[in-house]
Amino acid sequence: MQAFAPGIYPRSEALVQATRDLDRGRTTAEAVDQQFGRDLDELVRVQQEAGLDLLADGMLRWQDLFRPLLEASEGLEPGPLTRFLDTNSFYRAPTPTSAEPRLGAPLDERYVAPLPGRRIVTLPSPYALAHGTGLPAKVVATSVLKPQLDALDADLVVLSEPSLAREGAGGLAELHEALEALEGGPKLALQLTFGDARELLENGLAELPVEGIGVDFYATHATDVPAGFDKLLLAGVVDARSSALEDPQEIADFVERLDVERVALVPNGDLQYVSEPIARQKLARLGAARTARAKETAA
Amino acid sequence: MTDVMFETREIGSLAKPPWRVKAFAGRPIEKADVAEAERWAQKLELDGTEELVETLRRGEVGHDELRLIDDWSSRYGLALLERAGLDVVYDGEQRRTEMYDHVIRHAHGFEQRGTVRSFDNKYYSKAACVEEPAIDGPYDVDEYRFLAARTDRRLKVPFTGPYTIVDWSYDEHYGRHGALGATAEQRADARRRFLLDVAERVVRPNAAAVVEAGCDWIQIDEPALTTRPDEVPVGVEAFNASVAGIPAARRSLHICFSDYSLLFPHVLDLDDCFELQLEFANRDSHDLGTDGADRPGYEPLFLFREHEDAPNVGLGVLDIHTNFVEPAELVRDRIVYAAELLGPERVSVNPDCGLRTRSWDVAYEKLANMVEGTRLAEEALNRAHAGSR
Repeated sequence: MQAFAPGIYPRSEALVQATRDLDRGRTTAEAVDQQFGRDLDELVRVQQEAGLDLLADGMLRWQDLFRPLLEASEGLEPGPLTRFLDTNSFYRAPTPTSAEPRLGAPLDERYVAPLPGRRIVTLPSPYALAHGTGLPAKVVATSVLKPQLDALDADLVVLSEPSLAREGAGGLAELHEALEALEGGPKLALQLTFGDARELLENGLAELPVEGIGVDFYATHATDVPAGFDKLLLAGVVDARSSALEDPQEIADFVERLDVERVALVPNGDLQYVSEPIARQKLARLGAARTARAKETAA
Repeated sequence: MTDVMFETREIGSLAKPPWRVKAFAGRPIEKADVAEAERWAQKLELDGTEELVETLRRGEVGHDELRLIDDWSSRYGLALLERAGLDVVYDGEQRRTEMYDHVIRHAHGFEQRGTVRSFDNKYYSKAACVEEPAIDGPYDVDEYRFLAARTDRRLKVPFTGPYTIVDWSYDEHYGRHGALGATAEQRADARRRFLLDVAERVVRPNAAAVVEAGCDWIQIDEPALTTRPDEVPVGVEAFNASVAGIPAARRSLHICFSDYSLLFPHVLDLDDCFELQLEFANRDSHDLGTDGADRPGYEPLFLFREHEDAPNVGLGVLDIHTNFVEPAELVRDRIVYAAELLGPERVSVNPDCGLRTRSWDVAYEKLANMVEGTRLAEEALNRAHAGSR
């Protein structure tokens, strides 16, 4: 049993204010950089205190799931402001240019920050990055994601996939082919954020060539996980879109009902959809749930 | 056949003047702010502003001064809309902080839960519902009475709709227990109970009291209504619960920046809804012309043509996200296109949405051109009808 927190973490009120001030010309880029550093230090401390198994950098400088990769690539650019699923938050949709897709240079430490311990990195899934561009997912996998993965030193890379669970199983074959193109580097997990995975689970989601599969259990029923599921299950048991704080024992009891051997407890998507003080408490409860479950297993 | 005439109106918010913003934020009021108050008083031919101007000049703002400034910004907003020539007016929501926050501040059962990112370095505050929501009493009646005493024009009062309040809030009450691993039916049931409680316990009592005070037109604002397509039917149910039993002569629904095809056929179940006020100009070309190819932004009007029993259309003819001031001739062509498609009796004229993100100068010019363009459309259609007789 593991626990960790992929995805974009919320900014502290101090960082919110600093970035607002920067936009209004009331502070300097250096001052904002320093606040980013303080936010990262605090996030690391919170994860360590919660006892999470793998550390994350919270993607604090990522404007959205795609932007740094789009800005570092040829052949793709940030497009129109687009609503993210059914939230009140927005992202710049990946848009093709006339050039062939190609990652210019792997992301630097601003976007993949050094961490004092074993770590995860979150990147968009190839299906999500290609979504709406007209490009095959395998093309962006090969030309953009693969060079980025080869430059990473991570225990696990979580590929975040917000679209597929809402579109049905039609895209599974395309995703399968794209994930094959990513093999040979760090261990990969595909996380279906904020969506009901039932149809995908019924149609071979567990056969994808990745180490782990992430499922949102605030949208998916526990019994939808097929018998014999033999991958690492990234169980989305903390609701990143709700301010309500989870009961660690309730999570532990829920996990017991999942008939899966290898489980990692995770939020069901980016924690940036709650404020930072709430996210911090959710991380603590994620760790507490893992501890509670581990005690029950040992007993 | 009687002459074609279109009614013109605003949708909701206007920007707040700098002298108001700074006074309420406790920031110093500068000479330029005072000059701005004087300039607009002159432009709008507002009498009796001496006390306001003197108060702003002194810059010592206590409780009484804030009240005076609050009243005057409301009067300026009303006067701006009147002076632009609109038939139906309000005050640009000058007294309201923001459409979501205005409700949350007046309702029980919600607690603030901090800041969430909208995009890039833009953020918004979000509250959580922690118990059954309710209000102590109506909170928009004084605002309405103040304006009713100061205008002869028809007033249309905007109310943030239940779906938008619910969708922009966290739920720590209705769906809290058993959320982990819940079935879709359980989640939908919790959401519906939340929606109907907001409609019946927050929106309806406030709107009913405003109608009792004399208002004859309530507008429910639901920018979020199509956010989750499968919830549009329950959003319609919540609209009906919000206006049930309220004897307003008119009820209307404002929606914007949405896929309107998701509204059909569900909006046919809206109870006695006079009109849907929708945004179109944002999607449209700036070229003149009254053919479909000239008016790509108005393609959703075909949904209304297919459904003759749908509510009327409040036609958005001003893009609220740009300083481009639509020429009267462009407004004319947008109206003529809609009127020829649906029949003029199903069309009225308004901006896409509230103009709060535009300066007063830009908002005024846009609205004045909207009125002028409306008159041009009436002339064109009446001329065409006369020619065909």
